[in-house]
Amino acid sequence: MDLNFGEFFQPVLLVKIVTLLIIGFYIIFSFVVFTQVKAMGQILSLPHAAFIFKLIAIINIVLALSLFFGAFVIL
Amino acid sequence: MTDIFVARTKNKESIIKNKDQGESNMNILASFCKDPKGVSFQTQKHNETIILFLRAHFITNLYWIIISFVLIVIPLIIAIFSSVFNIRFFSDPLISHFTTVYVLFYYLIVFSFIFINFLHWFYNVFIVTSERVVDIDYSDIVIHNIAVTKLDHVQDVNYTQSGFIPTLFNYGNLFVQTAGTEINFEAPSIPKPREATHIIGDLIGKT
Repeated sequence: MDLNFGEFFQPVLLVKIVTLLIIGFYIIFSFVVFTQVKAMGQILSLPHAAFIFKLIAIINIVLALSLFFGAFVIL
Repeated sequence: MTDIFVARTKNKESIIKNKDQGESNMNILASFCKDPKGVSFQTQKHNETIILFLRAHFITNLYWIIISFVLIVIPLIIAIFSSVFNIRFFSDPLISHFTTVYVLFYYLIVFSFIFINFLHWFYNVFIVTSERVVDIDYSDIVIHNIAVTKLDHVQDVNYTQSGFIPTLFNYGNLFVQTAGTEINFEAPSIPKPREATHIIGDLIGKT
């Protein structure tokens, strides 16, 4: 099988991989934010706060995942 | 005579339940609250009541609110400029796809920036209870620190209020000095620092 290294690793493909990697790191980061929000909600209980912040953190994760799959399809 | 309308009376059990839990009298964004109801922390004892709830004045958030606003506006300004000056850089389908993804990612990062800064302000609280002083620090997204000392270990309490803006909005730094090798507590930029100092001072006098 003839595999040309230069053709296989096109610059666009490389940029796409790097972009997906960065968004992947962001997804990990958004999970860390969610874990921290959950921990702070257990440490300090304020009216409605834990629920609202958890919801925002989940929305952040969903948006990050959507962007990752969106980028995977679009790019 | 039969009653046409009878007002609903609350169930006795539910009244007791509400009394125990304490219906919240506190605004969720309050920075200074005396005898807050509906607020509790993890290591709170059963008979321990929260006397004072403090966090930094809301005006201290102004710097990151302005930064966020600028960050939100920047891509819009670039888009307007590119359309006004007829820049055809984004007209290429491949580039427009990448641009779409990067712009969405950029706004996601801005969203996180706003959320984290808000959490940083929201969860940096200073609580004075009937028995203890509790300082909850949420200094970074992966770091949180909780310091506690008993009221009878508190030796002195004072505050500083310097500068034009702190004087205008009546906020300052509160310092609680403890005995021996225990750490000293600091509540930065809290509203009404003089009143807070008096409240803690009275509590030290009582114990």
